[in-house]
Amino acid sequence: MLSFILILIAGFFFTGIIIRTKSIASGRRGPGVLQPIKDVIRLFKKGAVYSRTTSFIFQIAPTIYFSSVVMAMMVVPFGQAKGIISFNGDFVFFAYVLALGKFFSIISAMDTGSSFEGMGASREALYSLFAEPAFFILMGSFALLTGHTSFHMMFMALHLGSYISYAIALLATFVLVMIMMVENSRMPIDDPKTHLELTMIHEVMILDNSGFDLGLILTTGYLKFALYGALIVNLFIGMVPYQYAIPLFFGIQFLLAVTIGLIESFMARYRMSHNPQFIFALTSVSLLIFFGVLLVLGKFA
Amino acid sequence: MVVWSILLYSSWGITILGLLALPFIPMRLKANFAVFIVTANALLTSWLVIPSLGGEALKFVFYAGSFVQEVPVMIDSLSAWFILIINFTSVTGILYGSGYMKPYNDSEAKLSLHWILYILFHLSMVWVCLLQNGFAFLIAWEIMSLTSMLLVIFDHNNSKTIKAGINYMVQMHLSIVFLTIGFVWVYFVTGSFGFEAIQEFFLRQNNIWLFLIFFAGFGFKAGFIPLHSWLPHAHPAAPSHVSGVMSGVIVKMGIYGVIRMISYLHADFELLGEIVITVSVLTGLYGILNAAVHRDFKRMLAYCTIENIGIIGIGLGIGLIGLGTHSTLLYYLGFGGALLHVLNHSLFKSLLFYAAGSVYQQTHTRDMEKLGGLLKRMPQTAVIFLVGALAIGGLPPFNGFISEFVIYSGLVEGMKLESISLIGLLILTFAGLSLIGGLSILTFTKTFGTIFLGSEREHLHHQPKEVSFIMLLPQYIIIAVMLSVAFFPQWYLGIVGKISHDLVSSVSPVATGYESAILEGYSKTMNGISIYSMIFLALIGLVWFIRMYAIKGKTQVFDETWGCGYQAPNSRMQYTGKSFSKPMAKMMNFLLIERKSYPELNRGEIFPKGRKYSSSYLDFFEHYFIDKLNHQILYFINYFKFIQNGRVQSYVMYGIVFILTIFLLTLFNLVK
Repeated sequence: MLSFILILIAGFFFTGIIIRTKSIASGRRGPGVLQPIKDVIRLFKKGAVYSRTTSFIFQIAPTIYFSSVVMAMMVVPFGQAKGIISFNGDFVFFAYVLALGKFFSIISAMDTGSSFEGMGASREALYSLFAEPAFFILMGSFALLTGHTSFHMMFMALHLGSYISYAIALLATFVLVMIMMVENSRMPIDDPKTHLELTMIHEVMILDNSGFDLGLILTTGYLKFALYGALIVNLFIGMVPYQYAIPLFFGIQFLLAVTIGLIESFMARYRMSHNPQFIFALTSVSLLIFFGVLLVLGKFA
Repeated sequence: MVVWSILLYSSWGITILGLLALPFIPMRLKANFAVFIVTANALLTSWLVIPSLGGEALKFVFYAGSFVQEVPVMIDSLSAWFILIINFTSVTGILYGSGYMKPYNDSEAKLSLHWILYILFHLSMVWVCLLQNGFAFLIAWEIMSLTSMLLVIFDHNNSKTIKAGINYMVQMHLSIVFLTIGFVWVYFVTGSFGFEAIQEFFLRQNNIWLFLIFFAGFGFKAGFIPLHSWLPHAHPAAPSHVSGVMSGVIVKMGIYGVIRMISYLHADFELLGEIVITVSVLTGLYGILNAAVHRDFKRMLAYCTIENIGIIGIGLGIGLIGLGTHSTLLYYLGFGGALLHVLNHSLFKSLLFYAAGSVYQQTHTRDMEKLGGLLKRMPQTAVIFLVGALAIGGLPPFNGFISEFVIYSGLVEGMKLESISLIGLLILTFAGLSLIGGLSILTFTKTFGTIFLGSEREHLHHQPKEVSFIMLLPQYIIIAVMLSVAFFPQWYLGIVGKISHDLVSSVSPVATGYESAILEGYSKTMNGISIYSMIFLALIGLVWFIRMYAIKGKTQVFDETWGCGYQAPNSRMQYTGKSFSKPMAKMMNFLLIERKSYPELNRGEIFPKGRKYSSSYLDFFEHYFIDKLNHQILYFINYFKFIQNGRVQSYVMYGIVFILTIFLLTLFNLVK
């Protein structure tokens, strides 16, 4: 329950901080940290324009997309506190619930019959598919390291001691940050600020959404950031008592948001055709973690 | 008389009477009559096997002529599970088929034969699961293969269909060759064709080659790579209810055979587990990669069947490793997951084939690039297809997630093993399975999006409309059963746990300590998952309710799709299925061979004329191995063409030479 509330709060500010960082880095004053939330509230009050080609899929998809992320939030624990839902193998549930949301967001883009939106849908499907093995190998390695199979137990038992395990945690952070970028369609993979439909991924998929639905989709994006941020936080807090863990949670989330803002300010997007290779390379980093875990456990005897 | 004989003899009686009567039944009642017979057979055999599901095997012997003599029959929980799946899918198949075949009502003889074959086909599958004698088993197996082949070539005026049928028949007989070698080998070692003899064989010698021969024989039916190449030809060629049943249950007969053989093993579990799991992961990846690129939606479903066989095989491999390392939980999760996925796949794959058949019946094309926007014309079929697509992708809250979750749990539990090589194998399997999941999402978003969403790509001569109630009914029944698996998984898990327990009891040396109580922890988890799925649905409902409340009274405008300012968009400018999967296909071009054909631009052709471009994907194994091999064999056989020279005189001479040889040989006592 605690993690759910914390993720909600972090989601409020996350995107705002990214935008603020970007504006400071480029020497502008920029909007306030709460501007994205104000945008969403404005959208919630608006009417909507629908394409004549679309069907009920298009209308129901944002709802399912949003619900899937909320459901995934329930699975994530916070240090000693379990998530609302916790069972052995819950990370599979986490990944598949998110995949359901993705399924609907993809077919809703196909529903418009547009010449661009299918392109975004295709890319989204491809990129998230390549990110999947990295996530699963990472989780499998943690299961191997800790002997537990639920998020809560795994994160609780992650003891950082030897140098190798610090290296593992560092690599795991890297993998999760990159997965977060892929899943949220951010900079090295996708440029949310591009103005050409042909170079967009996520943005082109939601070209025809408006009003309440667009608000839902944006909110989902904010929450997704905080969701993956919470996973990264969990790598470090373990058994830390709450009075330190909660500030640490917000500290790390803040740091992540700033990092993303800085990456977006100083990096260009990768070439579209090289993205799959890049994402697939994450899997090899995950395999590195796996070997590290084998090393820690002394299996290479 | 005992119950089994009453049930079996009445099933036979009904069948024989039905087969004789069917050609004389008037046309409009023919399909209903066939439905009646299949349903009666299904009820009788289900009645026979349901008690065995609880764990008590029913054994009896019947006399089958002077040649085979006594045929032992055993109904244990494994056969019961498979027979119930066969019965359910066959009944939904014929219900759907009775509506699907309506347009062919003018060719009466063809339809009579079709229904007769269907009845025999159903019964032969049931008998494959019952018989315990190698010889009788092969007969039932052969009847199953032949009837299904004849069902496939219903549309026999089409040369492609005939070709697919012959391809299927040849491959099925290769399968029989392997099985026969296996049974004969056992016969030479033990002197018996009975299935117990196989157990005896493995007790005497730990020869994994026998298992591998059986695995290859059954693998043809199941569609493990590289033995899969009949599926993508036969499934599109067959009428949709036949492809639904074939994909739903006939490939599972291969799985049944493999499991049956596993139950006779005594050693080498670990090695065999590693082999099975490796083949299965590759099968799964290969199947779904091909499924993602094909534009014929029935061929795509056939490849997807190969993928699911891979997933089932992963479960079996985990189970074998569990047996080898004496980790009971791993064993139960592996076999339980595999058996549950057998059920689940038979449900959603037949559902998808039926929905695809409805689309084919209304549009007369299997090419998804010619379709589009069908959701508005066939809303029920679209929703049914969507449910099937979500379930087959393993997405919650549908049944596919349940079985995939069990298999995933097996893989995660496998992380607790000691051996580093097993852990390495399992983590790669883990990655492979997640990749399969991701690819199936890509495949099914593409298929669903291209067929049902957007606007229609080509003008169809006949306006498609929703199919008849009799075709929709079986699909709703299947969805109901799918939801029951999704929301009461602990009940189904209990059953497959029991089956796995019975299975391991026959493997005597390791039978101790394999109590199915070990699964109880997992059935609690499963129960939890079904509750979370309900919470998920409730959450979606809540958000939807809030949305409806929020947009009440707000303006809603309907207008054109955003076209980047272009003023004259048309439906051909929509993103196509081909382009949807193209980036993936390009990356995997070492496996997915694209064949393009177009005339090159000539030198000095200043005003080029209109030209056509087409591209299609070839099957890697078929193209590089099977076709090459066929070519070599044909080349070799060509040298013997002089024997079949078309002259009657030489044929008569062959006869005389043959008779003379026999005569001389007997004269000198060389043959007796």
